[in-house]
Order: sequence, then structure tokens, then C-alpha cells
Amino acid sequence: MTSYKNNSSRVDYGLVLILFLMFLTSCITIYSAQGQYSGNFALRQVIYYAIGCGIIAFVIRLDSDQLKRLTWYAYAFGVFLLALLIIAPESIAPRINGAKAWFRLPGFSLQPSEFTKVFIILALARVILEHHQKNPLKTIRSDFWLLIKIGFVTGLPLLLVIKEDLGTSLVIISIMLGMIFIAGISWKILLPIFGSGAALVSGIFYLVIARPDILEKYVGVEQYKLNRIYSWIDPWNNQSSTGFQLVKSLLAIGSGQTSGKGLFGREVVIPEGHTDFIFSVIGEEFGFVGASVVISLFFLLIYHITKIAIQAKNDYYTYICVGIISMITFHVFQNVGMTIGLLPITGIPLPFISYGGSSLMGGMLAMGLIFSIRYHHKKYMFSKGA
Amino acid sequence: MNTKKKKKALVPFRLNMLFFIVFVLFSMLVLRLGIVQIVYGEDFKREIERTEDVTVNNPVPRGKMYDRNKKVIVDNIPNDAITYTRSQTTKAEDMLKVAEKLASMIEMDTEKVRERDKKDYWILRHSKEAEKKITKKEMQQFQAKKLDDKDLYQLQLDRITKDELNFSPEELEILAIYREFNSGYALTPQIVKKHVTPQELAAVNENLDELPGVDTTTDWERHYAFDKTLKTVLGKVTDSDEGLPKERLDYYRSRDYSRNDRVGKSYLEMQYEDVLHGQKAKVKNKTDKAGNVLDTVVVSEGARGKDLVLSIDMDLQLAVEKIIEEELMRAKQNRATGLLDRAFVVLMDPHTGEVLTMAGKRLERNQETGRTEMQDFALGNITTSYNVGSTVKGATILTGLKTGAISTGTVFYDTPILIKGTPPKKSWRAGLGSLNPVGALKVSSNVYMFRTAINVGKGNYVPQQTLSLSDDVFDVFRNSFSQFGLGVKTGIDLPNEMFGFKGNENVPERSGLLLDYSIGQFDTYTPMQLAQYAATIANGGSRIQPRMVKEIREPKLDSNEVGPVLQSFEPNVLNKVDVTPEWMATVHEGFRQVMQSPGGTAYGSFGNAPYRPAGKTGTAQAFYDGPLRKNYSAPPQTMNLSLIGYAPYDNPEVAMSVMVPWAYESNTGHHANNDIGRRVLDAYFELKKKRAEENMNPIKPDQQVEEKKEGDELREEISQ
Repeated sequence: MTSYKNNSSRVDYGLVLILFLMFLTSCITIYSAQGQYSGNFALRQVIYYAIGCGIIAFVIRLDSDQLKRLTWYAYAFGVFLLALLIIAPESIAPRINGAKAWFRLPGFSLQPSEFTKVFIILALARVILEHHQKNPLKTIRSDFWLLIKIGFVTGLPLLLVIKEDLGTSLVIISIMLGMIFIAGISWKILLPIFGSGAALVSGIFYLVIARPDILEKYVGVEQYKLNRIYSWIDPWNNQSSTGFQLVKSLLAIGSGQTSGKGLFGREVVIPEGHTDFIFSVIGEEFGFVGASVVISLFFLLIYHITKIAIQAKNDYYTYICVGIISMITFHVFQNVGMTIGLLPITGIPLPFISYGGSSLMGGMLAMGLIFSIRYHHKKYMFSKGA
Repeated sequence: MNTKKKKKALVPFRLNMLFFIVFVLFSMLVLRLGIVQIVYGEDFKREIERTEDVTVNNPVPRGKMYDRNKKVIVDNIPNDAITYTRSQTTKAEDMLKVAEKLASMIEMDTEKVRERDKKDYWILRHSKEAEKKITKKEMQQFQAKKLDDKDLYQLQLDRITKDELNFSPEELEILAIYREFNSGYALTPQIVKKHVTPQELAAVNENLDELPGVDTTTDWERHYAFDKTLKTVLGKVTDSDEGLPKERLDYYRSRDYSRNDRVGKSYLEMQYEDVLHGQKAKVKNKTDKAGNVLDTVVVSEGARGKDLVLSIDMDLQLAVEKIIEEELMRAKQNRATGLLDRAFVVLMDPHTGEVLTMAGKRLERNQETGRTEMQDFALGNITTSYNVGSTVKGATILTGLKTGAISTGTVFYDTPILIKGTPPKKSWRAGLGSLNPVGALKVSSNVYMFRTAINVGKGNYVPQQTLSLSDDVFDVFRNSFSQFGLGVKTGIDLPNEMFGFKGNENVPERSGLLLDYSIGQFDTYTPMQLAQYAATIANGGSRIQPRMVKEIREPKLDSNEVGPVLQSFEPNVLNKVDVTPEWMATVHEGFRQVMQSPGGTAYGSFGNAPYRPAGKTGTAQAFYDGPLRKNYSAPPQTMNLSLIGYAPYDNPEVAMSVMVPWAYESNTGHHANNDIGRRVLDAYFELKKKRAEENMNPIKPDQQVEEKKEGDELREEISQ
């Protein structure tokens, strides 16, 4: 009944293959894109991947009980780091590209929000699980109560990052939305929430476009934030600010056409080409075909995680999977979307592909959880559920 | 159990739904990707090719200036120059390498190199030593973002020692060249050295492929064929180091000028900048993705600036200037001429307003040598003004006739005017007797003018009593004088023209001042205004705008030829004096008698002139206001001499004004005004005769017939 498969067969090789393809794509593209800055980023990315494998190897051994026990420590640690970031002097937390989101210590730098996202997923999974255990009978009232708990757990870290790092805030919000969705809260609550959310977003858009003076005067939104929206809507006439990045990105991707210009065939110099705008490099060098393959790879990854979530038949694991799906989906959609003018520009990386230690560590931590789910997946679950 | 089952079913359902949402989002990405890459891919590809082209404007030579007989006055002299063109991506090290090679081939003036340049260069050359000038502590502050790059650089600059800046002459040359390289704009050729010797040119040309960015070209320099003659009026052009004048930067920038373009900064060069500057050549640089220039395509050739044909007759101008110089020096030999330092002559076509000669000379002490030198002061004709004296009496008579104060038959007996509280006001000599207007002009009676002015002012003159005049009498006079050009801008096509000064009449002795005004001793006028006044009398009452530029001509590539006329300026009548032909004839006759009738004030000088001139002399008691004024506590009293005239009296073809301010300090003295005037008119008619004999173009060249006709029409028009 509790017989495990042997160790090697419990490793998810499908996921290993997907990650390996990501690794190849990442290293090749970074190698081609590095140029704006000195330093061998591709090599460092290989090292980060190696460290990431170490993280996976550690996380894979944690079973659900251990995870639950660690959850609040991890969450507290993450929130603590985010709070520290705000009060830390600029000598160890410098402003990079306008955002105070990194600790820079001699030898390495760290973006705590990348980890904290995963810790939030763990915390939410545990909160939802325990809520359902305490309230086996679902009522509107208990659903509301759950909603408040979820809101509190996400709200705390969200408040800490929202001023400095819009991209990460949006990721946290999307994780929260995914978790609320999967928590089984009644549609009677969900529909009004999502509905009013959509109305709010449209309202803000209306204000940005038609009445920016109101936002500036009464809400205190800085001009440069509004400019991002304008440059997204009409990049060609706003080339001085962020519109310049979008124009460059569109030129790069667009001129890649169907089959791309080949590796190292780049013509357009894109700022941040190895990090946030790596997809522009992919689109230019490998064309529509290559870019679609990369998107498909992410889709495959999400499909894979979804499959695991369904197979797990364990609500705790399902919640974790959904959180990770939400996180990765938002990252990919936002990052790729901004490079092709579908969404405004915000500084979040393309998971597993963009250069960056913290981002990759966060991603690998999440993958470690997925591996762990498969690893500790008891065989009887299959037979019983079938 | 039922709820449990329900809940179990709920989770996969929502998972599937979530997966569906992911699918939709990713499909949107792929769809949008397809639109960007496949549908619009071609456009983006083209856009890349387009934006990597950079269009540059290359300067063209300015237009030339000719005199009315097509003699070149201002020309462009080509000289070989070495240029350097930087691409957007050229690195400092590459530029240094090129500068080193170039330094071995050419001699470079190192005067422009400043200490800051040397320091920048030192840091560039000694980056490691420069780094050592920053302490560890400062480096930490830099990493902590307390100091920025600029602060560090400034620290390095401050800590460079004098010894370190001890460059060898060779290195200084490299630095001077590098400095020029750096001062240009990307893709715009920057002149590194002008006046390149043939040897240098050959050396550079032979090695052009080793000197990326370097090229040889022809630079243009303004050349003044008649050296200093008229140079103040012709104006100045900024040189390429100077670039656009700061105060008009926005004006030029908005008109597609580059910062290092040369523009006219004064007088004619500035007034006609639009015409002279030409159409720049447009060159398109095709660059690769790194910004290196691959190919250069000429988009439009550009055109040299258009040429100006001035109304000036250069031969006449030179002859007149010589006369002024000689007469000025001769007059200086008389006693009490310490303040005399200048004289002006303007010759104008009274029918077209074309300025044939605009000459002015000034004796000036050269600060360096301490010697007194004759300087060109043609500009003084429009920028300085003086009390001109009796020359204005023609205008006074016409004002009297116009206002009904006198008629052509009014006779006054010339005897001193005695106003209570004012010194007696009398004519220059006693016993002029009873005079009508013609006689009054001939002998230059002050008293006749005084009586006329009193009548204009509706005053009741009783000797030894106070005299009160109507409130608006000054307005009436100034209004009337301005119709002749006295006290108003003449409208000449030059910037910075002055009005002259109006005296302050709002004092108790107002009536006496009006009498002074009526004989030209109150307001001041410029020599150009006098010339316009002379021309207005000469042509019968039309005030015509004086013109320096006669025509604008298309540039011709063959520099020896003058291109076709692009624009020719028609005579511009500013206003007509509202007088009857009879009144005008009275003044004409008076002016004729001044010069041609025995007893006329200028008969001695002009009585035997074959070209039968008419005119009016002027001697004004004035106060000195020149450069030596600071040597005196109160302004010394001097005599200003003036003369206006035109000839021949019955069909005037030239109008003249002569002004000799501060001629002498005694009561009587020389007659430089008449001496200069006679010789100038002689020179004019001699030149005309000489040209007719040589069968050359007379003073009015190719358009003589046409212009004569214009003149006749004008005269008919005026007489109507």
C-alpha cells in the first residue's frame, strides 16, 4: 500500500527534459545577446543552473509534512527580507534600473522577491488546506473568511514590494487570483470580485488615456509611470522613454520574420537583451518558428504541471501546482507580451531563459516542489483513484 | 459524502478551466507574434534599413557680392582643408590612433589647446595612473553611490600635476588634432585644419585608407577684394570655430543650420543671410548595424548661396574715399581743427534710391602703435547723427509754404530777431537786405527762416518782447521734415540704422529753440538722412528708400560669370511730400542759385561746374560729442559743415550729401564741405565721361534705358 517506486523511477524525467531544453535555449541566447555589458553571462547562467539543480536536489526530498512545517518559516523569512530591503541603506540595496529590489553584497546579488513568490505559494496552499479541514462544510460565510485569510497572506508581501517593483506585485496578485480560483470559493463571490476587478482596470485605463490630470493630481501617480502606458499604446511617437525599448524590441522581433536571422545574426541592439528582453533576441534570431517553439515549451511545462496537479489527488499539492502555474503563466505572458507590444513594459524576466541568478533560483525552487510532488507521490493514489 | 464528492469534482474542473485560460493566453501570444513577425515582418525589416540611414547636410559656399558694374567685392577663396568625420560608434582609442598618424603628416597649430584638453588627454593616455589618483575610500564611496562618475573624473582632473602635463611638441600636436576630431558631431565632417600646404595635402591623400574618417576637402573663406573699403557695411561672417551666434541660436537652429555653420553676423552679410547662405548639400550615410559608414550617397547637390549685386559703384566709391581722405588731411592743417576727425559722403540715384557711394572716414588713434590712422567709417552714415545746419532750409521753406505761413512771394527784411531773454538771433552776415524765398536760400538767410518759423507757429513777433508760439509747432515742423527723411529711418536695407536725436523743446526758451530747429541746429540727422532729403528735393518730392542691394542673382558655377537675375528691386517710394510743383520749383531755383548764381553761398566752389549743380550749404554751431569729449568739462563749441546737392539741376541723376562734423572751433574756417562736394561731383561726371568714351557701361550699365524710363515716369508721376 505504501510501496514507493525506486528512487530513480520516481524522478520526473519529462520535466527534466523540458528544463534541459530551457537550459539550452537560455545559454545559447544569452551567449548571443551579451554584448551590451562586459562579462560572460552565459557561463554564469550555466553555474546558476548548476546551483538550481542543487536546490531541486534538496527540495525533492521534502515530503508534504516537511513542507507544511517549513512553510511559515520560509514565508516569514521572505517577508523579512522584503522588509529589510526597504529599510536597508543603498550601499547594500542599490537602486538598479529605478527599482530597489536587489541586495548587492560582495560576491553576489540577490532579489528576495523571486524566492518569496514561491514561499507565498506554499503559505497560501497551507492556509487553504487548513481552512478546508476546519470548515468541511462550505458556506458563503466560510468562503468569505477564506478570502480574507488569502488576502492577508498575500497582502503583506504585496505591500512591501508594490512601491518599488510593479512587475513582482503583479506576479503576486496573479498567484493570489489563481489560488482564490482553485480554493473552491463559490462563484457567487468570485464573479463579483473578478467583475469589479475588471471594471477597476478598465476605469484606470480610461483615466490614464482620457484624464491623466486626475491621476497626477489626486492619486499622485508620477508622470513616468503614465508614460509607460502611452509608450505602449503608441511607441513610435514616444520613443524617448520606454517607447524606445518597445520600438527596438518590435523592430528586432518583427524583422526576424518567419525563420529568423540565425544565431548571432542580430541587427538591432536591444537594451537588457540578455535579461528582460531576451525574448526579443529569440524572436530576431530564430523568427516566428523559434519564438513559437519557446512559447510551446512553456505551454508544455504548464501542461505537465497541470497533469501532475490532477494526478496528485492531493489538495495541498494541487494548490501548490496551481500557484506555480499562475506564477509561470503570468511571467511568460507578461514578459513575452511586453516585447511584442501586447502589454505595457514592466521589468520581470522570462523564467528559466532570462539571465539572472535570483530569478532562476526562484524558478528552480518551484520546479523542486513539482519534482518533490512526483517523488513523494504514493503509488496507491493511482490505484485508488482509478 | 455528497459534498465531499462535489468538492473532489470541483478541483479538476477548475484546474481544467485554469489550463484553458493558460491556453487562451498563450494563443494570444502566438497570434500576436504571428502578426508582428509574419504580417508586419517585412515592414519592420524595411524600417531597420531606413533608420540606419543618416542624412547629413554639408555646407556650401556663400553667395558673392558684386558692385553695380559686376566687379567682385566679396568673394569666396577656396583653400584645402582636412576634415574628420566621426561615426556614431567611433571609440576614443581609434580616434587617437588616427590622430597620431595624422600628426606625423601635417603641422598642427597647438595654440587652441587648453589645460583642460591636456588633462582629458592625459587621463585617456594614462588610465592606470589616473585610477591611482582615486583613493580606496573614494572608490568605496563611488560603489556606495555617494560619488558619481563625474565626481571621480573631477578628482582625477584636480590631481593631475603640472609635471604630468609636460607634453612634447609632437604629443601636443596629436592632442590638438584629437581635440578637433572630438569637437564635431557624428557623421558631420569637422574641419581639422585649414590652409593645408600642398605637401601636407599630398601626404594625407596618399594615406587616406590608413586614416579612417579623415578626408580632404575644399573650405571657403570670405575674401574682400577691396580690402577695408566698405568692410564695415559689408558686414562680417562668423568663422566655423565660432559657429552660430549665441543670441540668435534658436532662430538659426529652427532653420536647419548646424551649430558650426558660418552665418552673417553684421550688416549686409546679416541682412541678406537668407539669400547668401545657399542650399546645403544633402548626403545620406548608409551605416551598418554597428553604426559604421558603409556608403555615402549624395541626395541633393546643394547650391551655392545666391549672389548680391550692390548698387555701389566701386570705382566711384574708391575715388570718393580718396577725396575724403585728402580733404580731411588738408582741412586738418588749418588752425583750430583739433576736434575734426571725420567726414562722410553719400551719393544716391534720386530716382531709384540706389546708393552709389557710401563713404566715411575717421581718423583714429591706433592703440598699439600710438599713431593716428585713417579708418573706414562708412557705417557712420547710418549710425551717427549731427546738427547739420542750413542745409535743411529747403525743408523749412517748403514747410512754410505748405502751412500757408509764407507764399512764394513773401519778402522779409534780414535784420536780427530780438526776443526778450534770448541773445539776438541773426544771419551769418549782416546786410543781406530784403529777401524772397529764393533769395533767402541763395544767401542762406537765417532771419528769413526765423520769420517763417514764427509764422508757422502763429507767433506775433514784437522785437524785445517775449515770443509765444502755438503748442504743436514742433510737431508740425518735425512732421514736415520727416516727409523728407529728416529725423526718421531712411529704410535702407541695413540693420542698426539710427533716427538721430531729437532735442528737448519743453523748456522756457522753447520759441528760441524752434528758431534753431528751422536752421538745422536743434535735432540731429544722419548723413544718410541728408542724402534722402537731397534726393527727395531732386526728384520733386518722392521720398525713396535707399538701397544697397540692386539685384539678387542666381549663382553660376563658372565663377567668372554673373548668373541670371533672380530678383531685382523696384524703387520703393516711402511717401510723397505734399507740395505743389510751384513750391518745389521755388526751392529748386533757390538751390540752383546757391551754386550757380554769383553771391550764392557755394558759388565760389561750384560756379564753374559744367554739370550745373544745385544744392545747399550748411554751417551749424554745434557742441562737440566725439571721442575726445571726456577731455573737456563742458562740450566745446564747434562748427559742423554740411552740403547737399544734386546735378544737373534740371535733370538730376545723382544726389549727394556731405557731412564734416566738428570741422573747426573758431567762428570762421575752411570749407571742407564744399571742397569735398565739388571734387566728388567732378569725380562722378568724369567717371561717367570716361566710361562713355571707353564705350564701357556707363554708370548705369545694362539696364540704363529701362531705368531712365522708370525715372521719367517717376518724374511725370511726381509732377502730376
